[in-house]
Amino acid sequence: MLNEERVILMTRMASYEAGEGKENVKIGNYFRTDYIAIQVLKSIVCGVLAFAILFGLYILYHFEEFMQDLYKLDDLIAFAQDVMFYFIGTVVGYGVIAYLACSWRYAKAKRSLKCYYHNLKKLNSLYNEMQ
Amino acid sequence: MTVLLEMKERLKLIYSKGEPFLLPLVKFLLAFVTFNTLNGRMGYMTQLDNVAVVLIAALTCSFLPTGAMVFFATIFSLAHMYALSLEVALVGVCVYLVMYLLFFRFSPKDSLVVIITPLLCALKIPYVVPVVVGLLCGPMSAVSVGCGVVVYYVIEVIVNNASNVKTMEDGEIVAKIRILIEAIMGNKAMLVVVVSFAVTILVVYFIRRLSIDYSWTIAMIAGVMTNVVVLLIGDLLYDINISVGGALLGSLLALVVAKVVEFFRFCVDYSRVEKVQFEDDEYYYYVKAVPKMSVSMSTKTVKKINTQQSRAGGRAGAARHTGRLNQSAGAGDRNMMDREGANRIVQEERSGQGRNMSGGRNTMDRSRSNMAGRNVRRTSGYVQNRSNVTIGSTVRQDTMENVTEDVSEDYEDFY
Repeated sequence: MLNEERVILMTRMASYEAGEGKENVKIGNYFRTDYIAIQVLKSIVCGVLAFAILFGLYILYHFEEFMQDLYKLDDLIAFAQDVMFYFIGTVVGYGVIAYLACSWRYAKAKRSLKCYYHNLKKLNSLYNEMQ
Repeated sequence: MTVLLEMKERLKLIYSKGEPFLLPLVKFLLAFVTFNTLNGRMGYMTQLDNVAVVLIAALTCSFLPTGAMVFFATIFSLAHMYALSLEVALVGVCVYLVMYLLFFRFSPKDSLVVIITPLLCALKIPYVVPVVVGLLCGPMSAVSVGCGVVVYYVIEVIVNNASNVKTMEDGEIVAKIRILIEAIMGNKAMLVVVVSFAVTILVVYFIRRLSIDYSWTIAMIAGVMTNVVVLLIGDLLYDINISVGGALLGSLLALVVAKVVEFFRFCVDYSRVEKVQFEDDEYYYYVKAVPKMSVSMSTKTVKKINTQQSRAGGRAGAARHTGRLNQSAGAGDRNMMDREGANRIVQEERSGQGRNMSGGRNTMDRSRSNMAGRNVRRTSGYVQNRSNVTIGSTVRQDTMENVTEDVSEDYEDFY
């Protein structure tokens, strides 16, 4: 026999799973550290790529100066040091921002899933009552 | 206010009914306007600056996710840049890639914001964006708005420097790139607008989430003021020549739009706030419940449509009419319309004949919405001579017009 409360609950949960919950369930499948580690790693890769693009543009912009200083070893070493400093600063900074953003997103998803799991338990108890 | 709330309910109803068609239509229009604006601003590739191409792209976007619109807009702009110069396209690709890699991946679902921000900037009404985004989205959307602003200014820089790039020779690759990078990096207006929009979004977002009465209204006013103040400070610092009058007018428009958004999204009645306090084993709860403003919807029922006796020779006419109708309708029961699945019964009775012309006709239910109930007795000129339409006590007049139209159409089939 149809249980109205159960149907309403299932509809609500299905709607959540199809919409907002889709992403949250995906996030909820990870442990916090795993999720954040993966996201930070992805961010570092993205940060490296973005830095490479920006560096390429910088080289194109200063192409003439760069070609003139190419054979001056001291200048080149100083330039490489500067580049490394900016590279590490950019990637680490971006990684930290990604860490904060992912922590916030994970906490938010978990809060949202808490309600979902509560409904799941309620649904289970409704089934048990029926039996 | 009641009228507005009724109108809101009606609009919601229209949207819920026509969502499968309205959403693609809105997407199509947005994509069409966006691509046309891009073509209008840039238009260097003549093959793309064609209504047929824009229509095809917009139609494709209408049934794809909003991310597709961003993709198509990117392709359009890059194609125009490429038509101008390969170096310009290279700079464009780099800017887009950096934005995607560093920023856009934090809020990938804000593609609509990324599309609308440069569009509204191009239409000279950019101040609406941060206030509305702050009200409807989260703080991460500041990144998407920033990306949108950057896209707008990059396109502006390219358009402004197009004549310089065109006059340069093909071999001057580095010079072309240098001009563009200098123009983009030296664009302080872009920086100021990005910062002011980001600050505005954060201010609006955090204030509207506060547990205070009229938080949305306070948030939008504070946001608008913050936006203007940050823009003015930026203007003072970098001398970017921001039009103060334009900023103030734009902010007023932003307030109006934000109020409309508030009406549809967060229409609550602070005069009926309830504050309750209770406790369980672990916590004390201080709950503030703010009721939503809404109008109750009355149901509409079309009870029956009676035929009207003709003045002279009415019985004979009615008999002839009924005879024909029965001939066509067979048993007399016909489904006139059932467009929504929820049925209304329109009974047509032949007074004087003692016969039920169409015992229970399922007519349409064009609207579940309800207006103030009133008795409606309304027939079209054609129907008036043949049928007397009597409707239940809470029928909307426009619904009734539809009913009579359908009845008359139905009758026309027989005569």
